[in-house]
Amino acid sequence: MLSIENLRVVYHDVISVLNGISLEVKEGEVLVIIGANGAGKTTLLRTVAGMIGFYDGDIIDGDIKMNDVSIKELDSADIMKRYNLTYVMEDRPIFNYLTIDENLKAAAYSRWDNKIKTDMEEVLDYFPVLKPLRNKKAGYASGGEQQMLAIGMALMTKPKILLLDEPSLGLAPLITEELFGIIRKLNKSGITIVLVEQNAYAALNIGNRGYVVEMGRVVLDGEAQELLKNEDVREFYLGAGESKRKSYKDAKRYKRRKRWL
Amino acid sequence: MTDLLQTVGTGTLIGLVYALLGLCVVVIFKASEAFNFAIGEFLVVGSFLFYIMFFDLNLPIFIALPLGLLAAGIVGALIEYLTIKPLLGRNPISMTMITLGLWFFMRACVQLIWGSDTYSFFLDLPDITLETEQFFFLSDPIWAGIFSILTFILVVFFLFRTRWGLAIRAVSEDQAKAMAFGINARFILMIIWAISSICIAVAGVMISNFGALAAGSGIVGLRAIPVVLIGGMDSIGGALVGGLIIGICESLAGAYIEPMGLIGFKDVAPYFVMLIVLFIRPYGLFGTVRIERV
Repeated sequence: MLSIENLRVVYHDVISVLNGISLEVKEGEVLVIIGANGAGKTTLLRTVAGMIGFYDGDIIDGDIKMNDVSIKELDSADIMKRYNLTYVMEDRPIFNYLTIDENLKAAAYSRWDNKIKTDMEEVLDYFPVLKPLRNKKAGYASGGEQQMLAIGMALMTKPKILLLDEPSLGLAPLITEELFGIIRKLNKSGITIVLVEQNAYAALNIGNRGYVVEMGRVVLDGEAQELLKNEDVREFYLGAGESKRKSYKDAKRYKRRKRWL
Repeated sequence: MTDLLQTVGTGTLIGLVYALLGLCVVVIFKASEAFNFAIGEFLVVGSFLFYIMFFDLNLPIFIALPLGLLAAGIVGALIEYLTIKPLLGRNPISMTMITLGLWFFMRACVQLIWGSDTYSFFLDLPDITLETEQFFFLSDPIWAGIFSILTFILVVFFLFRTRWGLAIRAVSEDQAKAMAFGINARFILMIIWAISSICIAVAGVMISNFGALAAGSGIVGLRAIPVVLIGGMDSIGGALVGGLIIGICESLAGAYIEPMGLIGFKDVAPYFVMLIVLFIRPYGLFGTVRIERV
């Protein structure tokens, strides 16, 4: 349903981050995107969500198509309204100085129907840990609670596609597991999920398909289970390559990365 | 003693107007972290717009006031659209620089349109002069205090009880996050500027009502600086307290220090208080304590 074709994005007119990336999201799947820091994963999500302009980035080539209609000219509010696409930014995009209740209401700002109250209860049922904290400032919640709130806020927008940017950032392994369980549950309820992760093993385990991104390009793609078995992925992202010691120079499988920032 | 109470009372009334001025600055600062230096000129423009409606077109006040304020709001939104919006997401310092430029630009525009003459300004509000054996409060300052506090309460109600207000508070905290959740941050910023210029216009009309209106009246807008610095740049309650402190201290200085031969000390006193407060609390009395989790 969502396809990205040969996309090139440049920040501040000089820093080239996405160099012709192409990928496709199919309806109802969990798509996992893995890659090192600076590979362009976050930029990709920002661009799809229509927020690249805010960060002074430009699409200089390529296209983003939703059901074969180009959406690269739309801004974030339009994309959300028309295509029910919600982007959950990295590092817990919550409003620290609003209460948890207010956070959920603020996230429902783009909606005008009168079901907001019942949806709020529904979201809180997904995340029971948030219930006792409803009237507390969100900034005082723990990291896991904040990330759950962030996903809960995204649910308030009634998404069909959810872009999750590193939801496991800074969370304990147990919490991460719980979170990924919830993500899988959301997917079962019919939400297409694009998951950007550093925690490649956990992410590929709940994903259907995966892409490996390097230097703003897709270098590898395939079924998630295949990727888990792939020699390169195991070595670079799962830290579990062959057991015998290797020479340091052999480790440079991909060409040296050139970074501008 | 009654003398003192009288002075404090007068100061409180004018302090409420200052609080409103402070609120205008605080609302914008919270949203875009830019200090609006052009506040004085917004005040003059707002007052002149009301002047047109009330004195030139001879509309009754209950029509002229909303119309004038609406016009002020539109001007504020327009200025935001033309000058601030292109800078969204950039360094707030550049927005502050823009408002410095607006200050002089708007002053020149006002002088071009209305000249440098003084316009007499007299709202025919019912006389509610408060006169007892010990106290004597003029009608105009009382009206100014009432209108200011009403506007203040309305704005606070709008911010904390409506969905727009919630969106404004969300945008104030983080524009990018708000955009990611479908809040149109650009539109909300425009609303904020409109609200701010409406409030400034209310304050402007009230201040002009004390005397007259001229292109130079904008200088009173600078009172907002000590108000917000004392109260804390991002605190709405701080604006109220700061306004009252400035009003009272100004009136005390006028009553007790100026007779000692220090003519004009009234205008300096607020800055003295500001310096003392800033020495003790660099973020102002109610400046935000950043949330830090343990």
